[in-house]
Amino acid sequence: MNINTESRKQALRYFYTKIVEPMGYKFSPDNDLVEFILEQEVNLEGKYGIPFCPCQPIRHNREHDMKIVCPCIPFHRKHFDAMQRCWCGLFVHQDVTDPDSLPQLSAKEMGLE
Amino acid sequence: MEKVTMYTLSTCPWCRKTKKFFTDHNVPFEFTDYDLADEGTQSKINDEMDIAGADAFPFVIIGDKIIVGYQPDVYTRLLGLDK
Amino acid sequence: MSESFFRVIRASEIAPGGIVAKEINGHHLIICNNNGEFHALSGRCGHMNAPLEMGTLDGTILTCPLHCAQFDIRSGEVLSGPVPMSFTSEKEASPRRAQHLDKAAELIERIHTEPISTFQVKIEDGWILVAL
Repeated sequence: MNINTESRKQALRYFYTKIVEPMGYKFSPDNDLVEFILEQEVNLEGKYGIPFCPCQPIRHNREHDMKIVCPCIPFHRKHFDAMQRCWCGLFVHQDVTDPDSLPQLSAKEMGLE
Repeated sequence: MEKVTMYTLSTCPWCRKTKKFFTDHNVPFEFTDYDLADEGTQSKINDEMDIAGADAFPFVIIGDKIIVGYQPDVYTRLLGLDK
Repeated sequence: MSESFFRVIRASEIAPGGIVAKEINGHHLIICNNNGEFHALSGRCGHMNAPLEMGTLDGTILTCPLHCAQFDIRSGEVLSGPVPMSFTSEKEASPRRAQHLDKAAELIERIHTEPISTFQVKIEDGWILVAL
């Protein structure tokens, strides 16, 4: 199947915006990062039929993998809210202007587990 | 210098930054791209990550310390790269 | 080849987000309303010809009701292929049925999803006209 990657990325942007905005998130202002991650997601969607997070392991176990379907924010709300970003950094809190300043720390390291 | 090993994903930009960090600082490291590994290797990595209580990449091991997430300041400190 | 504009439907008859099917001049067409922007396309899914007016429209993304292939209503291009079909539970009925379904699955796998044709639209006196 020859799907136009750019068109599919735009479709994902459209779907995701509607989901993350009510949760207080937005696409990261780091556009290069966003473009890269969306491209990985289009590839993963082409391979698995599902746009998984490109930074978390796909274990082929439904209960595990459902928690990394993008946007995976609802399954990691406390952790991501504490970091003000989702794990891969595709989404950040709406008031974030400097995404590079947001560290990538595990929930355990943040004392959330 | 401590041995550096890491588990990464070929699709993850932070894993790329992590590899670049060590390359730029001339620190040798071994890596396994989890998504490109066979089932046996993936299973072993799953166990290791479960024990460490982590479920995300990059997963870096420096000596006996495990660092999850891209943390260049911690890599620097643990390897004494700023001295 | 010369095209003529045909009156299809009043713009007021399609609510925003809505899809209406019309047969005009031998064409099965659908008219989609994306927030006041009207698009005319072939009403047959580029996968297995299912009637797209029974699908869902979200912004500019049209999803086919039969196997969920997705199309962009502006260009007709394929945004997502059909979902894979699994006949696992039905194959338990009999070995003969299983054999038949395996063959069907093999054939279905080879079906290519084509982009759908788009047609020029203009609005005149509150009517939607489509060039055919």
